[in-house]
Amino acid sequence: MVLASAPWHRSPWGLAGGLALAGVALCGCAASVPPVAPGTVPVVAAESQYADVAAQVGGRYASVVAVMDNPNADPHGFEVSPSVAREVARARLVVQNGAGYDDFMRVVEAASPSPRRRVVVAQRVLGLASSIANPHLWYDPTTMPAVAAAIEGDLARIDPAHRAYFAARLARFDAAVADLRARIEAFRARFAGRRVATTEPVGDYLLSALGLVNATPFRFQADVMNGVDPAPQDVGTVESLVTGRRVAALLVNAQVSSPVTTTLTGLAEGAHVPVVALYETMPRGFTYQRWMTAEIDAIARALSTGRSTRRLS
Amino acid sequence: MRWLVEPGFFTNPVVGTALVLGAVVAVVSAAVGVVVVVRGQSFAGHALTDVAMAGGAGASLLGASPLLGFLLAGVVGGGSIEAAGAERVRDRDVATGVVLGAAAGLTALFLYFVSSSTSATGSTQSVLFGSVFTVSPSVVPLGVAVAAATLVALLVVRRPLLLSSLSPELAAARGVRPRAMGLVFVLVLAASVALSALVIGAILSTALLVGPASAALRVSRGLVGATLGAIAAGVAAVELGILASYDSFYWSAAHRSVPVSACVVAVVLVEVATSAAWARWGRGRG
Repeated sequence: MVLASAPWHRSPWGLAGGLALAGVALCGCAASVPPVAPGTVPVVAAESQYADVAAQVGGRYASVVAVMDNPNADPHGFEVSPSVAREVARARLVVQNGAGYDDFMRVVEAASPSPRRRVVVAQRVLGLASSIANPHLWYDPTTMPAVAAAIEGDLARIDPAHRAYFAARLARFDAAVADLRARIEAFRARFAGRRVATTEPVGDYLLSALGLVNATPFRFQADVMNGVDPAPQDVGTVESLVTGRRVAALLVNAQVSSPVTTTLTGLAEGAHVPVVALYETMPRGFTYQRWMTAEIDAIARALSTGRSTRRLS
Repeated sequence: MRWLVEPGFFTNPVVGTALVLGAVVAVVSAAVGVVVVVRGQSFAGHALTDVAMAGGAGASLLGASPLLGFLLAGVVGGGSIEAAGAERVRDRDVATGVVLGAAAGLTALFLYFVSSSTSATGSTQSVLFGSVFTVSPSVVPLGVAVAAATLVALLVVRRPLLLSSLSPELAAARGVRPRAMGLVFVLVLAASVALSALVIGAILSTALLVGPASAALRVSRGLVGATLGAIAAGVAAVELGILASYDSFYWSAAHRSVPVSACVVAVVLVEVATSAAWARWGRGRG
């Protein structure tokens, strides 16, 4: 679904909707893609957080579509649908994370080569190798300003008539991110050095920016992220971090659940270790900066009052 | 001892659950497996694993217990294969193949929805290849109950079943009804597949069903001896597999463990190969 600027979301994808869609696909009907609003640059972003930044920079001259925007689904298990291929085929600007996180985008782009399409890859903007171990780059507070600048540059090249408009929107975004940075510094001053445990490396870049120490072995986090069973040794290590109250909070990826994470969350509740939900992709009804602020506030609340935040609202 | 059993093996609660559940599952699989091998139903057994797989995938889509999913699908699928009642071996073979393909397709559909619309992760891995180290201890009582019921049912139908497979005329003379026996046995088989799917995954459960049984049948004479041998081989395969998987954490500097299912299947293969070698060369000299 394509809408001008802010509310670009697809209609909620319930299970029933998914099944109905499969029925449509099975009977051979083509997936339809709504038209782009006239006079706007068609933009496709692989993840909803990049879509949000693109919409903030592009404003009313960009029609932004997010490919992965279901905060209830595990993005690592995402499979591309034919309508995504159509949206990418007509897009003038594509924004994606890279680092192996959204490889399906490369496949879709290769399927419809176009010299008119520009592609912003966050991992390349940051000058990182595609083999980097933790692909959740958007949790690094330095990522989005750089990506927003790259988006602004490309939008200005695609639609030079509105160059000044895009520059002003970028300045507004940068001002909002500066507020976020101030909040991170305040957090750091108060809580630096505190130990936390996580189920996945989703928020690790933010945690190090906040000065927190993640006591969880990276192997365990990577195994949960990749959907393989962590070794029983690692499970034992992480469980004892929680049951022995050797961490101040357990940060759980709200979008990924497995028997291991469910058990761990239960142990944390039993040991009165606060649990904080870290979202892997941006939850609905948020902007990137409001989302990060909400996560930081939730962690601060857990560390200062021991209160859990299982859902952001 | 340190070189054989790495530290923490006996104190790790995850390993404890795995060892108990693994042993229970191995006993049932081996006992049922002997009848499967004697009746020449390995392929039907494998088709049931695919049906069970669809059930496991459906259960993770609905957030239900995987054991219940495996069990329900196996019973329904197995019952319908048996009720279709193809008498000729070739028809039966084709019917089994069709059911197998359909079940695998359904599994693919369910797992697609699991990954695209729910937060469950690793379902593909755990449904297909098992994850006994992540099984919740609360599954153990249900697993033991299903195992006990399966063994009792097997004890009841074992003699008439074997008789009707080894000597149909004699069985008919004694009033054994082969269709009814077949149906009961398929249900027993479905339960056994569901149990082993928990430990080594739906796809690999055939290995645990057929491997220890065929090895034991090669080296022992009577069926009772073969059943006891198969149970010993099955339990050994699962427990050694769990041990090897646990120890493999220490084999590399990066601490990359080998999955339990791969270790169990490796031990089963060694058992089958050893029994084949023994039957071929060892017996002649002894």
